[in-house]
Amino acid sequence: MAAFQSYNKLLLGGGGNIANIKAGDAVIGYEFGVYYPSYRGTFLSCIESFAVYVDGGRVPDGDIIFKLNGKECLLSQLPELYLEYWFILDEARIFVLKDGGLQGGGHDVRVEMRHRIPYTGYFGSYMVLDSADERVLAAG
Amino acid sequence: MDMGKGGGDIKLCLTLYSFSWEYASRKLSLEEILRKAKEMGYSGIELVASQMVPGYPYPTEEWMGYFSGLLEKYGLEPICYSAYIDMGIHSDRDLCEEEIFNFTLNDMICAKRMGFALVRTQHAISPAIYKKMLPYCKKLGMILAIEMHHPHNPEVPVWKELLSIMGESDGYLGVVPDFSIFAEKPHAFHITQAIEDFGGRPEKVAEIARRHQDGADEDTLLAGDYNDGEKTFIKDVFHTYGNGKANLGWMRELLPVTVYIHGKFWYMGDDEVDHTTPCDKLIPIIKESGYKGYIASEYEGHHFNPDTDTQEQLGRWVRMTNRLLGV
Repeated sequence: MAAFQSYNKLLLGGGGNIANIKAGDAVIGYEFGVYYPSYRGTFLSCIESFAVYVDGGRVPDGDIIFKLNGKECLLSQLPELYLEYWFILDEARIFVLKDGGLQGGGHDVRVEMRHRIPYTGYFGSYMVLDSADERVLAAG
Repeated sequence: MDMGKGGGDIKLCLTLYSFSWEYASRKLSLEEILRKAKEMGYSGIELVASQMVPGYPYPTEEWMGYFSGLLEKYGLEPICYSAYIDMGIHSDRDLCEEEIFNFTLNDMICAKRMGFALVRTQHAISPAIYKKMLPYCKKLGMILAIEMHHPHNPEVPVWKELLSIMGESDGYLGVVPDFSIFAEKPHAFHITQAIEDFGGRPEKVAEIARRHQDGADEDTLLAGDYNDGEKTFIKDVFHTYGNGKANLGWMRELLPVTVYIHGKFWYMGDDEVDHTTPCDKLIPIIKESGYKGYIASEYEGHHFNPDTDTQEQLGRWVRMTNRLLGV
C-alpha cells in the first residue's frame, strides 16, 4: 500500500541537526528530532519497531531514549504507551547515549520505523507500514 | 465564483484534510488553511481531530476556544468533526466495548464544545455500541454518522445492521458515503506510481488499466506477460477499483440515511472531469434524491504526490461539481 508513503520524508524532514548533549562538562551523547510520517498523529503503542543507523552502523536499541510530550522512554517501552499521543506537529527527540557525542560535520542518519495504522482493521487485520528516511545531518 | 455555494439544498464544504500535506509538513498552519478556505469561497469546514487538534484526544478548553475564535474570524461554520475508532492502539488486543464507547463519547463532547453538530466515526464502533450512543446524540443534540469507505460497501454484512439502526434513529444516526466506494479506474497518480515506483513499463501499465476496464479478471491479468511491478499494480487495481464498474445502486440505497457526503478525489486534470469516479452519474443521483446537506471536497492526491497544487485541485473539483449540480 504505497499510497501512504509520500509522508515518509517527514520523519527526518524537520530541518534540525544533531545536538551533542552534555551533563556538566561531559558530552554523554547526541540527539536529533523526528516527526511522525503520516497525515494524522498516532499513539506511541502503534510503533512496532524503530531503528536508527548513523554513518551506516546500527545504533543499539538500548542506547536510545525516545522523548515526547515531556516524557522519556526506552524503545522497548513504546508498545505499552497507548495513552501517549504523537501529534504530527510535535517533534520527538531521539537521544543516543554515546561517550563524547558525534564529531562536528555531516553524519548520515537513517531512521526506519514500522508502525500499525490503528483504524485499518476493515476485515480483521491492520495495515502495517514500513517508513524510512535518510539524510545527512550536521553535528555541532 | 462562490466555491462553497453548491446547488439549492446541496452545499459544498471543505474538509481541512485536503491540505494534509501542507499542514503536516508545516507549510501552512491551521489558521492559514482556514483563511484559504474562506478565500476559496467555502462557508463550512470539516476537521479531522486526530490531525489538527493539539492535545488530542483531550484538547484543552483554551484550545477549543481558540479554534472557535478562528472560525468566527473567518466566517466559517463547523460542519463535521471527524473521529476514528483506533481499534488497534493496544499491542496485544483490540479495543474493548467500554473503550470504544469512551473514545466516542469523548469525541462527541469535544465536538459539541467546538460547535460541531455532526461527528463522523467509523464502522468499527460496532452495531451494539452505535445503538448505545443514540441517547447521547439526543441529549447533546448531535448526529453521529459512520463513514462508508472503500473497501466497505452496503453489501458488507455489518453494514446491513448499521443501516437498519440508522433508519430507526429519528435522524440522529446516519451514513457518510465516501466516493472511494465508487472509484472505477486508476487516477493519474496511480499510473505514475505504477511506472516510477513499482517499475511498470508505461505501455504495459496502460494495457492493464485498459484490460481491467474491458472486464478482464484479476487471475487472467496476473497470468499475463507482466513484470513484478506490473503485477503489484494489477493487485492494487483490483483491490482499489473492484471490477471497474461503480455500483450506482449503492448511492440510491444509502441516500435515505445519508447525512453528509465525502466527495473524495485524487486528481483532476485541466479538463475538470473526474476520470476515476463517475461523478457525472453520482452527483445527479444525489441531486434528484432531494438530499439536503453538505458534500465535502476531499482531495486525497497528497498521499501519492505531495507537490501538487491543492488549491488548484479543489478549484477544478468544485467547478465540476457545481456544473453537475446545475449551478
